[in-house]
Amino acid sequence: MIKVTIELWLSMGEELGEDFRSLSHMRSVLEATVKEGTTVGKLFGQLADRYPPIGEKVFDRKTQRFCGDVVVTFNERVISPSDVYGRILGRGDKITVLPVYAGG
Amino acid sequence: MAEMEGYVGRILRVDLSTGKIWTEELDKSTAEKWVGGVGLGAKYLYEEVPPGVKWSDPENRLIWTSGPLAGSGVSGAATFNVMAKGPMTNLAGASQANGFFGAYIKFSGFDGIIFQGISSHLVYLLVQGGKAEIRDARHLRGKDVWEVEDTLRSELGVKERDVSIFGIGPAGENKVLYSAIVGDRGHLAAHNGLGAVMASKNLKAVVAYNGERNFGIYDAERLREKNKEVFEAAKTFGVIYEWGTGGGFSALYGIGALPIRNYTTNIYPEHERMNGQYLRTHFTIRSKPCYQCRIAHVKEVTVTEGPYKGFVGEEPEYELLAALGPVIGNTDLGAVVMLTREVDRLGMDCNEAAWTIGWTMECYEKGVFTQKETDGLDLSWGNVEAVRELLARIARREGYLGNLLAEGVMRASQQVGGEAADWAVYARKGVTPRTHDHRGQDRWYELFDTCLTNTSTIEATWAGVHPKFVDLEEPSDSFSHEQVSTFNARYSGIRQFDDCVGTCRLAAPNPKLVLECLNAVTGWNWTLEDAFALGRRVINQLRVFNFRHGMKAEDEMPSTRYGSIPGDGPAEGVNIMGKWPWMVENYYRLMGWDAKTGKPLPETLRNLGLGELVKDL
Repeated sequence: MIKVTIELWLSMGEELGEDFRSLSHMRSVLEATVKEGTTVGKLFGQLADRYPPIGEKVFDRKTQRFCGDVVVTFNERVISPSDVYGRILGRGDKITVLPVYAGG
Repeated sequence: MAEMEGYVGRILRVDLSTGKIWTEELDKSTAEKWVGGVGLGAKYLYEEVPPGVKWSDPENRLIWTSGPLAGSGVSGAATFNVMAKGPMTNLAGASQANGFFGAYIKFSGFDGIIFQGISSHLVYLLVQGGKAEIRDARHLRGKDVWEVEDTLRSELGVKERDVSIFGIGPAGENKVLYSAIVGDRGHLAAHNGLGAVMASKNLKAVVAYNGERNFGIYDAERLREKNKEVFEAAKTFGVIYEWGTGGGFSALYGIGALPIRNYTTNIYPEHERMNGQYLRTHFTIRSKPCYQCRIAHVKEVTVTEGPYKGFVGEEPEYELLAALGPVIGNTDLGAVVMLTREVDRLGMDCNEAAWTIGWTMECYEKGVFTQKETDGLDLSWGNVEAVRELLARIARREGYLGNLLAEGVMRASQQVGGEAADWAVYARKGVTPRTHDHRGQDRWYELFDTCLTNTSTIEATWAGVHPKFVDLEEPSDSFSHEQVSTFNARYSGIRQFDDCVGTCRLAAPNPKLVLECLNAVTGWNWTLEDAFALGRRVINQLRVFNFRHGMKAEDEMPSTRYGSIPGDGPAEGVNIMGKWPWMVENYYRLMGWDAKTGKPLPETLRNLGLGELVKDL
């Protein structure tokens, strides 16, 4: 088993329950323990099953894809959506989910 | 003439050289071809400003046009478009402002105003009840835009919402090339120096009166239904309803898209004390919505902490938070509120101002500028009081630096030359992007669009956000050169449609709902395809205008720094420029333009109802 970090910058603190720790108004963090070989896609599928708000706002349980209005970074680096789902998690990896934003 | 629902049916013409004022009918075929806003602006600009006319010539037109939805009751629909040949690019310039004017100008009797000529002295225009009057404005010389509003309201004996006033500040009067047209307490038509065009005509302000709706609505019940849907869509459109446009500030930081210290770094740990969430949970805010806007994202704010505690100003939009925060190395949110008021009241585009000052600060840090060039100003990163003073000097074109920076960052950096010429962030047509870091891969849509768009020099795609609004598939890989270029071409047109109808993109973010409102107001039966075609007609009309006025395809690219590779942060090492030529050629082909020259092909123009332009290329 390995530990990874999931950080949501989506102002979802109270919705997510006690498993998530609030870092600030917008940031919530979960330290998760997963089996070796788990992919990012599989992890978020599990999170969506366990935490309904994630299934509603972050990761679509039907399509097993991130919702269209979020973007993801992996170890604080931008990552192609086509690369992220199959990425196998390693010890200490961090996945951050942020709202998509454009214009201004 | 027969009544056209959604339209007053009259365009006001003002010749400032002769003082002549007259009206023209807006006929049905023109309305159906160009609709309003940027569409009507494109029509009149093309027809009336031939090649060889300079931005400051009397022959240049300054075209203010509303749209059929403005004043109709659609949430926030009071947007108007300003169009002219702009001084930053010496090409077509279009910019939209919200507030009240787009509705009030119709209530005052006109769908738009076209200015030509140059007044012999400073004047303002008053429009009310289907009539217009040119009035002396010499007593307003030197006043900032807030003072102009206060003075005119007092002289006219009207309350705040009795009139809408847009005008220019000291920056415009002194022909700062990126001066803006500002009104209704903080709304701006900011891009491409349209304030300088207004100043060149000796026109200080325009006043339009509130009044009764004076145009028909085809299906009022259907409009009410759709307007509810517009509001529901706006409430769930990202973070804006709850946190304002500043709600996306940290999200952009997280993907390396927040512009920090003139693109010299992507590290800014203070971002959570500078975002919309922090502002709305720590400062005191009060709603100041635009005309009939239900989301009311515009706020007045009182600073509650730090050196500017007690300062009251408008809540900075995202662009201002970034422009007057990280771009200039500032980490005090209260100072952003203070500088927002400064840049707005002086009447400048915050984007160009910030990139210009950010570049200057980098030059100061690296010794290109010393206190000799700055006339004693310490332009270290984050010195907000020095920035306040520098803004005032730019607005007055005072001293070496004030005059240099009034030209904008492209011209200033080219004049200074050497290595510093490569540090400036701009699109090579002559203006700067929004205050984003577009280099990170998830921003490539906007970088590409900023360099290639023709309606203005601001991006028009919204970065691939919500393509399903208009029945487009989301790109499976927004980090793909091929997909970004292809997506931008497919998306092209729909935001120009928005800019024709008189709605706000934040209050009415879903173009399909906007289209349904348009049909309810006008009685038309337009499809999404028609909406795209309108937008593409505008794009192509202005592209032909731009080629005739000297645009070169090789200028459709970013400056060295704008297209550089981030050295740190979430997007470290990504490089868009390696495949830039391929992206451009692909985009040209998909747009129906010659793959090498970028000129619209004859069949493209004919298909859009622009066959008469073929001979002009």
